[in-house]
Amino acid sequence: MLRVLALASVVLLGIAPQASQAITVYTSWERHALVGSDVRLSCSFFSWRFVSEDVSFTWRYRPDGSRDSISIAHYAGGEAYTDNKGAFKDRVEFVGNPKRRDGSILIKNLDFSDNGTFTCDAKNPPDIVGRPSSVRLLVFETFLVPIQAGVITGAIIGVVLGLLVLIVVIYYLMRFLVARRVFSLNVSKHGKKKKEGSQQRQIKV
Amino acid sequence: SALESQTNRRVMLIILAFIILFHLASAILLFVATIHNAWWVVSPPGREVIYSDLWYTCNSTCYIVENSHSTEAVYLQAVQATIILATILCCVSFFVFMLQLFSIQQGERFIFTAAIQLLASLCVMISASIYTAESKNFHADSLKDGSYGSSYIVAWVSFPMTLISGFMYLVLRKRK
Repeated sequence: MLRVLALASVVLLGIAPQASQAITVYTSWERHALVGSDVRLSCSFFSWRFVSEDVSFTWRYRPDGSRDSISIAHYAGGEAYTDNKGAFKDRVEFVGNPKRRDGSILIKNLDFSDNGTFTCDAKNPPDIVGRPSSVRLLVFETFLVPIQAGVITGAIIGVVLGLLVLIVVIYYLMRFLVARRVFSLNVSKHGKKKKEGSQQRQIKV
Repeated sequence: SALESQTNRRVMLIILAFIILFHLASAILLFVATIHNAWWVVSPPGREVIYSDLWYTCNSTCYIVENSHSTEAVYLQAVQATIILATILCCVSFFVFMLQLFSIQQGERFIFTAAIQLLASLCVMISASIYTAESKNFHADSLKDGSYGSSYIVAWVSFPMTLISGFMYLVLRKRK
């Protein structure tokens, strides 16, 4: 009986892994860095399976305005390979820990020409069906909040108009409140007069 | 004295018409300065004239002014914001004037109208000043050899116009 059960579970376990499930790759959305500094681009993945021996990470770089991407780092079969010919020669280092699903790379000594999109593709055989994830790198001369077109324009206009509306509202509110206080004063006076009137009537009687 | 009151009324109407026309003229100038593409003109010898303003750089085709992730873009956006604000405030003050014309008591001044119009004048001044100070940085190197264009002059002209308009509203009192 036990043997049958053991056999059945082994068979089931044998069948189930044949269906490969999707792998989800995670990177940051956008990274900002200063010229000359180093930046660590992180890449991680989620898979229902344990990390296999054949886990692989591939990093591609696509410059801004270009349509082609070029590989700059690859980890497979326990070995990390980095760019030794192109723009990232000797500047890329694989610093991730694949056993812990981390396939991060470190790019040193950034330049403005490194602006672009870095795509990480992770595979955990047999989970290979997944969409690579991209992180956008922005290299700045100084650390100013990245200015998108129109943000400052909109902010200035919005703040000034908002202040104007606020001033008008406060002005009318003050007038309304003062008017109310005057109104309540009249009411108390009227009340006092009423009391006096009734006293006089009593005395008369 | 009926004749006197009639002439008085005529004078009042003429003054009112003048003030409204002046206000409208300054508003139109502001619109022209904001929209017309001629803040900076470059005429390279032998090639087409290039017109540039706060939004586009055009010869026969128009390209958006480079809004790069740099510190210079801040100044350009401040110029854009203040000139747009000035235009909006000028229009708003016109509507407020129409409102106050029918709502305030006789003998009172048009304070709100004057305040908004003076604020518009301040915004135009800020916009034109920043553009004057930083215009060298707004353009690519190929456009550095140029001169200020007609929209720039119109923007500067609308500054005293809105200022005078604002002061006129301060001085004016409502009469029957």
